[in-house]
Amino acid sequence: MNRRMNDATVGIAVILVTTALLASLAWVKQADFGHRRRDVVARVRDVGNTRVGNAVVIRGVVAGSVQTIELAPNGWVRIHMKLDRTVDLPSDPVVLLNESSLFGEWQASIEERNALPTDITVRKAIAEATGERGVLPGASFPGIGKLTEVAGQIAGDVANVASRVQTAFDDQAATELRASIKNVSDLSATLSGTVRAHASDLDTVAAQLRSAMAAINATAATVQQIAGRIDTSSRSGDLKNIVDNVAAASTDLRRATAQVNDLAGRFAKSQGRLDTFLANGDSILVKVNSGQGSLGLFVNDPSLYRRSDSLLVVLRSLIVDLKANPGKYIRLHIF
Amino acid sequence: MTAPAATTHAGVTAGMSVRILESIGRTARSKLETIGSIARFLGETARAFADVRTWRPEVIGQARSLGVGSLPIGLFIAAFTGIVLALLASYSFSGAVPMYFVGTLVSKTVLLELAPVLTGLALAGRVGANIAAELGTMRVTEQIDALETLGYDPMAYLVVPRVIAGTLMFPVVVGAAMIMGIACGWMASALLLNVSSAEFVKGLRLFFLVFDVRYGLVKSASFGFAVTLVGARRGLRAKGGAVGVGEAATSAVVYSAVLILVLDAFWAITWLLGRDVTAS
Repeated sequence: MNRRMNDATVGIAVILVTTALLASLAWVKQADFGHRRRDVVARVRDVGNTRVGNAVVIRGVVAGSVQTIELAPNGWVRIHMKLDRTVDLPSDPVVLLNESSLFGEWQASIEERNALPTDITVRKAIAEATGERGVLPGASFPGIGKLTEVAGQIAGDVANVASRVQTAFDDQAATELRASIKNVSDLSATLSGTVRAHASDLDTVAAQLRSAMAAINATAATVQQIAGRIDTSSRSGDLKNIVDNVAAASTDLRRATAQVNDLAGRFAKSQGRLDTFLANGDSILVKVNSGQGSLGLFVNDPSLYRRSDSLLVVLRSLIVDLKANPGKYIRLHIF
Repeated sequence: MTAPAATTHAGVTAGMSVRILESIGRTARSKLETIGSIARFLGETARAFADVRTWRPEVIGQARSLGVGSLPIGLFIAAFTGIVLALLASYSFSGAVPMYFVGTLVSKTVLLELAPVLTGLALAGRVGANIAAELGTMRVTEQIDALETLGYDPMAYLVVPRVIAGTLMFPVVVGAAMIMGIACGWMASALLLNVSSAEFVKGLRLFFLVFDVRYGLVKSASFGFAVTLVGARRGLRAKGGAVGVGEAATSAVVYSAVLILVLDAFWAITWLLGRDVTAS
């Protein structure tokens, strides 16, 4: 009897605790025993910080929860969600994964495609995920953690740059910078002096410019007067005379031009003759250089030159002797 | 005169050195004896598991005594733990963290730590002391010797049923404590704090993992195994009448409590460290 009592007591305790535990688990995990919920599948490239059990929200109202998250082929991630059967999805639904609070909670929001935010990246991701039948396209927003991480990287880079600047800007650099500033100061002073020195020149130039402007004005006035006269002349018939004179001058000019053209033609012929002459001279010189002909032999044969030279000496002495004693060589007989 | 004095001094020094060496050797031998005794005890217990016909009829009785009888104290501890946790969470979160995190904190701490460890410590006092005192009394009154004379293996008849009952029933008590702790934390949040039921449930479900329950139950089973083994060993080694029984009960509680905390750290290191919480 005692033994049976023990068995019953332990059995009841074990069954009660086990049942309570399982029931609690089922309740907390929102187990769907009566199939009162339906499955919705979405695919995204990255789920961010979305976890199993996170809420699925439609127009801000919790309509279900994320059941499983699994890797799919071609770099996709599939998210299986359980939604209440009574909830209607938007007409063209897409899934956005985003943070629901600053404490690391994420949620899956089912939105209408037309109501998507203007973020180009999100729209691109949704467009890329679109196409598989029965699977909602999805995209995830960067979380606060990722943004903080990027900000941290930027801060680290800035600190790195600051450190490098600090390293590069040592005492020597400071001295050089100080010297450069002094040089710039000296240069500035020099420029200032130069400007002061040339200020009078600039005044002179300005005065000349003013006088030139006055002259231009006067010229303009004169031109205006001429224009007035031309106007007057045109009205009094002088302009016709001027035009006639210009026409006559133009005829004379045309005649002179024809004469010039004629001269140019003759010059061209003379140039042709000159070319021919030069070509002949060139051939003669070639022959002389090559030792052809008398002149060539004379130029190219040194013995001939020496003989000619001695002949000239003899001839010169002969002429001197002839001048001194003409009778020796010339006998004049009249009769 | 000087030579005998020097000889005496040298003799004293040598005697002290020998005594120090003896002390070190005695301590080492004692520790090794303890280790050997524990190993022998574990070996005999393991061997006694084979004697099913001896220990099976005793398991249910022990399960009722150690498990069902411990439910009230386990539930009581868990109830107040849940209430206090909710109040502490509310006190810590006010103005900075959303109040639904009260549900998260209560569930996580109760499931992972407080229900197994506090219940284990309480049962170490109740179960460990009970086993040590019972077996110690049997030892000093030579009932165990009588059992051996009658052909019963005391390990199979006395130790194994208690170890099995403790290992199986500790998770039952801890499971009930988990439910009670969270339920009382919920009630305290709803009644005493400005946290609605919906908020508490939201926080409860937000980071809830089945693994948390599994972890707590496995841990509590290891606590039950350790507490019953320590109680049985201390009881079987009791000597010298009532004083020895008292010492056995006290040391059983102390060693059980220490072992529970060591096992708690062991499970945390081996099972929680580096675990991806998104895996389950």
